[in-house]
Order: sequence, then C-alpha cells, then structure tokens
Amino acid sequence: MSERFDTFSPRHTEPDPFAAALEAGTAEEDDAALDPRSAVALLAETRRRTERGLDLRPPWLTFVAAVVVLVCYGALWLSVRGEHPYTGPAGWALGTLYGTIAVFAVLNALVLRRATSGVGGRAARQRAIIGPGVAVIWICVYVVQGALHHAGAGSAIAYGIWPAAGPLIVVGSAATAYEAGRERPGTAAFAAAAVVLGSVACFAGPRAVWGVIAVGLCALLLAATAAQLWQHRT
Amino acid sequence: MTVDELDPLIHAPARLRIVATLAALSDGDTLSFTRLQDLTGLTPGNLITHLRKLEDASYIRTEKSGNGRASLTSVILTRLGRDAFHDYSAQLRELLGDLVR
Repeated sequence: MSERFDTFSPRHTEPDPFAAALEAGTAEEDDAALDPRSAVALLAETRRRTERGLDLRPPWLTFVAAVVVLVCYGALWLSVRGEHPYTGPAGWALGTLYGTIAVFAVLNALVLRRATSGVGGRAARQRAIIGPGVAVIWICVYVVQGALHHAGAGSAIAYGIWPAAGPLIVVGSAATAYEAGRERPGTAAFAAAAVVLGSVACFAGPRAVWGVIAVGLCALLLAATAAQLWQHRT
Repeated sequence: MTVDELDPLIHAPARLRIVATLAALSDGDTLSFTRLQDLTGLTPGNLITHLRKLEDASYIRTEKSGNGRASLTSVILTRLGRDAFHDYSAQLRELLGDLVR
C-alpha cells in the first residue's frame, strides 16, 4: 500500500482509523452510475451538510446573542434609569452583564471549536491573527474610558455614553472593514448598522442610551437570525 | 451535452461528496482526514481509495504534519480541482437544462 496516507489522527490520541481500515482490507470502490438529477441532489445535500458542519455562527447562536444583549443592556438600563444625578450602572447590573457575557463566551467557544475542528490552512492562520487583534480593540475601548475619567469627564460620559456606545462604534467599525474586505456584504451591512445605532444612541443621553442599544441591537440580531434562517432554506 | 462528457473523476457518488465538501472551504483551507470522513459519511477505506484517485489527477493534495501517533494528514483541493468542480457544476446545470427541454 502507498505510504501517502499512512496516518490520520487529528486528536493525536486515537488509533489511526485509516491504518486499521487498510489492515482489515476494507478499502472499497464506489463508481456506481449517477444520473444528473441524483448528482444535483447529492451536491445540494453535501453542500447543506458541509455548511452546517462548518458554520461558525449558526442561527440559534445569533438568536442567543440577541437575548444576551437584551438581558445585559436591559439590566444596565434598569439600574440607571432612575438615577439623579447620574452615577453609573449598579453592581448587580454589572454582575448580570459580566456573568451573562461569560456564559455566552463559553458557548461561543464551544461552537467555534466544533466548527473549526480539523480545518486548517489560511482560515486557521487568519483566526490566529484576528483573535488577539479583536482582544486589543476591546481592551482599548476601556482604556479610553479610563482616560476620559482621568481627564475629568463626568459620569454621564465616562460611565454612561462611552461604555454603552463605544464598543459598538469601535468594534463595529473594525468588523465592517473586515467583512467588506472579505466581500461579505450581509455581515458588513449588519456591522455598519451597529455602528450607526451606537452613534445615534449617544443622543439619547447617559440613561436612555442603554435602553436604546438594548432594543436596537436586539432587533438587529433578530433580523440577522431571520436572514440566516432564510439563507439556510434557499 | 451528454452524461458521458461529465468529468468521470468527479461524477461518482463518493468523489462528488469529497470534492463538494472540500470546495465548500475557502481557497487555501485544509481539512483533516477524520473531519472529511465525518462530513462525507464515507468509510475510511472508501475515502482513501477515492482520495488516491483524486490525488493522482492532481485534484487534491495531502499535507502531513507530525510523526507517529501525533501525525495529522490534511487534504486540500488544488486550483485544478476547484476549477474542475466549477466546470462540472456548470456542465451539470447545462445538462439538466437540456433534459428539461
């Protein structure tokens, strides 16, 4: 037998399934006749199966993201809506925010791990660069928040408008450029809409900005979920 | 256009699954043997037989990393293979159009 395919073991711990098959002499051929209609059906089924298997952001995850946004920003809005003067979100609201985000991050990591298992090459190299890049962008949003506080900006800006709208504007802008560069108009439009929402929401003031983003971003994510489901059906 | 004119290397159920799966990846991406087996639903023996045929035609290329139990072999669709798949898909559509008429 050829040595070309001598070992295949992506988990690096299991016995090589290919070697076992070769030893058992189970290699078989399947050149059965295929009529064009069956070929088209097989192509469609394979495409559907592969796209679902490799999908980094399935519709259900986008729906969960919509709920997470509503819960997090909604909790922050509830905690600040009656504040006079404005001092910033209460501890319980921040706890809800960080707790919900942590659960969602774990869920996201599990989906990503499952979808990218065994996929290498250019996509893996891009992910290795994008991950730290996005982390730096997120951290810088909060560094600017610290700088605003340090420069004497009031609570309305440092603990209201900027932390509510800043991540949407900064991360959304980066995502718009990235998605446009990859020629994905749908996701680029979604990211641009998030930037517009964040910018316009600033006019609502330090209390209402949380509520406007809660409802607006949730609506955008629900629209994205619907678009994904529609795309899966066609 | 007739069925006989379709690329025989792709126009077989198992190889069509393999090539269509690899074509769903972005250009330059690789897929491990086990994940390819999982996505195509083929047995290891069947998959290896058809991978050989596709590799002999330079439609796919394999890349091996590591040694012994830690080794990993990945499969990549070459430019030639991607072009052949696009041509096959176009011919199939044309053929079905002829059949409908």
